[in-house]
Amino acid sequence: MSSLLIEIGVEELPASFVARAMEQMPVLVKSALAAARLTHGEIEALGTPRRLALRVEGVAEAQPDLEEEVLGPPRAAAFEADGTPKQAAAGFAKKNGMDVSAVRIAKTDKGEYAALTRKEKGLPAREVLGKVVEAATKITFPKAMRWGQGDIAFGRPVHWIVALFGSDVIDASFANVRTGRRTLGHRFLAPGWIELAKADDYLEALRAAHVLPRTSERRAAMIEGLAASAKDNAAEVVPDDFLVEENLTLVEEPQIVCGHFEDRFLSLPDDVIVAVMRGHQRYFAARDVGGGKLLPRYFAVVNTALDPKTILRGNDRVLRARLSDARFFVEEDRKKTLADRLPKLDGIVFQTKLGTVGEKVRRVGKLAAALSGDAEAELLAQLCKADLVSLIVGEFPELQGVMGRWYAQKEGLSARHADVIRDHYLPKGASDVVPTDTLAAHIAVADRVDTLVGCVGVGIVPSGSADPFALRRAVLSVIRIALEGPIDVDARAVFLGAYGGFVSQGKTLAAEAETLSKLDELVRGRLKSYLGEKHGADVIEACLAAWSGGSIRDLVARVEALSAIRREAEFDSLTVAFKRAHNITKDVASSDAALRAELFDHDAERALARAFDGVKARIDEATGKGQYAEALRLVATELRGPIDTFFEQVFVMVDDAAVRANRLLLLARIAGTVSRIAHLHLLSGAASTTG
Amino acid sequence: MTFQELILSLQKFWADRGCLIVQPYNSEVGAGTFNPATFLRAIGPEPWNVAYVEPSRRPTDGRYGENPNRLQQFHQFQVILKPSPLEIQELYLDSLRALGTDPNKHDIRFIEDDWESPTLGAWGLGWQVWIDGLEISQFTYFQQVGGIDCKPISGELTYGLERIAMYLQDVDDVYELEWSKGIKYGEICKRQEWEWSTYNFERADVPLHLELFDRYEEQCRVLLGLSKEKGKGNVLVFESDDSLKRLVLPAYDCVIKCSHYFNVLDARGAISVTERQRYIARVRHIARAVCETYAAQREALGYPLLKAPVSAETATAEVAR
Repeated sequence: MSSLLIEIGVEELPASFVARAMEQMPVLVKSALAAARLTHGEIEALGTPRRLALRVEGVAEAQPDLEEEVLGPPRAAAFEADGTPKQAAAGFAKKNGMDVSAVRIAKTDKGEYAALTRKEKGLPAREVLGKVVEAATKITFPKAMRWGQGDIAFGRPVHWIVALFGSDVIDASFANVRTGRRTLGHRFLAPGWIELAKADDYLEALRAAHVLPRTSERRAAMIEGLAASAKDNAAEVVPDDFLVEENLTLVEEPQIVCGHFEDRFLSLPDDVIVAVMRGHQRYFAARDVGGGKLLPRYFAVVNTALDPKTILRGNDRVLRARLSDARFFVEEDRKKTLADRLPKLDGIVFQTKLGTVGEKVRRVGKLAAALSGDAEAELLAQLCKADLVSLIVGEFPELQGVMGRWYAQKEGLSARHADVIRDHYLPKGASDVVPTDTLAAHIAVADRVDTLVGCVGVGIVPSGSADPFALRRAVLSVIRIALEGPIDVDARAVFLGAYGGFVSQGKTLAAEAETLSKLDELVRGRLKSYLGEKHGADVIEACLAAWSGGSIRDLVARVEALSAIRREAEFDSLTVAFKRAHNITKDVASSDAALRAELFDHDAERALARAFDGVKARIDEATGKGQYAEALRLVATELRGPIDTFFEQVFVMVDDAAVRANRLLLLARIAGTVSRIAHLHLLSGAASTTG
Repeated sequence: MTFQELILSLQKFWADRGCLIVQPYNSEVGAGTFNPATFLRAIGPEPWNVAYVEPSRRPTDGRYGENPNRLQQFHQFQVILKPSPLEIQELYLDSLRALGTDPNKHDIRFIEDDWESPTLGAWGLGWQVWIDGLEISQFTYFQQVGGIDCKPISGELTYGLERIAMYLQDVDDVYELEWSKGIKYGEICKRQEWEWSTYNFERADVPLHLELFDRYEEQCRVLLGLSKEKGKGNVLVFESDDSLKRLVLPAYDCVIKCSHYFNVLDARGAISVTERQRYIARVRHIARAVCETYAAQREALGYPLLKAPVSAETATAEVAR
């Protein structure tokens, strides 16, 4: 066994390309090794901006010998009755490169056939690994490019390929480059070719040449370097996973330098300073130890640091210019109030059929005012988006809301309203918090609901992985605001309200009923996946079936009540009983007809009717108040016994039509009362039977 | 190294490596890419190696001469190597060495930066080159120009001359750059920045520019004999199939004009975000017609530059004869 090394040397690849190639190469090579019938040990993907590499340990020296049975023509076609081979047998042997004497007869399920045992000597790995090396180059990049004569496409131009099996070069070629044993070290710190004696020398040789091809090693070196530099400068690095991963694929060997900028720039909002350093320069921000106050310092991850002073002089100057620019943007922006900017929103198309962002914010404002009962919400909801047309947000889109808040504070809006401008974007992701302020929550809901109704109304509905307007996330945000935030949301009512907003602006949406029904489906789908993390799918189904599509909190109250009570042992028999009741009454037409006591002919039946009579009003009352745990508890304590006894002792489907109908009516009434809370027959667990 | 020494050094460096040195284009362009020596020559199979300075106008970048880093007119040094040689990065680094910059003492990086010009229907992949965190060059492998796939591929190097000069002279303010010994950049360009910023942002006549845009667009159509209707599959329809009857170079100037007037209107705030896309599409459309015509013309002419490259020595020998 020997190690296999494949390295493709390239011009600097984008970070995302390296990550993608490192995912694909092991898969490509693994399947090529399998096809080549070579056993192997661990596969490790390696990569830096300038190289994509793969190490495979313990690759077999040779393929195992192959012995396989090849079936030919049927016996009758291949042999005379006396066993003499016919022409067909000879042809079959010849085709497989064997003598006709080797052809024998094999019995199969389908009859007897001429057969050959074909033996193939396994080839040495060196002779078949070329295909494996070629397979490693079949990476697909998000955007491949061509270069030179323009015949070949790859992530970036290919300069060299190392392909070593043990100490032997595996001959192959790609992109007009032949494989060899030469690699290049760090572009500046170790220029020149490095001859690798064997595959296993790779990591060591590159480390010596200032290249750390193993991502984990590079990351550790960067984090260690950052910590050391922070310590030297009595500062703390503001953690940023994006920057760690980004810088990781921008250097072959990370070096850290700590630079600084002038105190005067600290008058800019912290978020702007961080965005400038992060977005433009990939610098880590620095803050004071413990206090969290931003310091006029930064940490840059560089590829070469032979002369840190020179490097810092350059970086400091760049940052100063960038911060000056940001300050220019902020100063320009402040010459206009947020309200002054609103007309400009009419110049941004939200969606062709739904009009401009200006139209959208006016709809959202009206809806938010209606939802919150706060007239101020109408203007505030519009101001929430005014920073979209500011210079600074144009430069740093991720600062939307944050800068709106800052400008609002500077122009003297109340602290609460300024916060609303920032917080109406919450939650920004699955792990983000929801707004805590009621006004922010109302605007947040109105904004998303407007998008939902509009998109669904013009036929943009998420399907599979296609969800260009992130509608699923919008629904999830509304659900989370209703459950984790300060306000409940009546889904049906807000959808209806938003629909009205489009109508009054003269927008053409699909019919109201159709739109609402699609939205209802969307909401139910999201509720299932959101609640599915904590509750059983059957519990959710049972409650969704009873839920009107209105209050989100109401649905969750049902789910929580049912989840809690069904864990109790007695509840199982109740489920069984309701399944039976459902099965035998599902064809019973709902009827206002009164139950006729005189038709009851069994004690268990009378007992059930009595028990139901006694508790129905209380169940209805608890249900009406949304006290679902209480209502279900009443069902369990008051009705379980009588129902069980009823099903044990009473045969429902008697011949006497009047008695049977009366009995079914009783069961239907009980089922109907309980199914206002949840459709218990949808619960899984107890087996379904018919009565 | 003064600003003009920088230009002279780069010209010498690239001339020594076989590039033609041509001059800036005599119409308003936003970048060296607009110069026909890049934009049109990138089309088709003919080899082409060229270098030139391009004063480039970006009306929205104007800062009235008050920002030490932003200018509405700055200078690019543009190099086109077609086909792109495999050692193009090393050539570029050698050019920095020629400017007295030792790449080993700095942190030089090639950072992903794909380039796309929606108005020109062109795109490419490549990098920004950073030196100590400062972007000093753009490096692009053209993939498509005017909607036509490039083959071979041109490698485009664009040096930001002011930035590099500021770096080399270690000054923070562009206006403090020494253009030549004793004459500062600001003495030559500051007033110009103020006047053009004022013009672009405040004074440029909007109706006039709107009209100029329309008329040059129309002129371009006429020069190309480009029909307003498109054919099946969105193909462009020309009145004459003979591309040599069309005046493609004047037509291309119309594209440059439209693009520039659009930029001025943009700086004047006269174009809403919605209209922007439509204007861009209009320029892209005529740019595409120009590129298709140019490609057809070169073919009709038998690709004159596709002959074996004439080396300097043989050329001299021929002259001597």
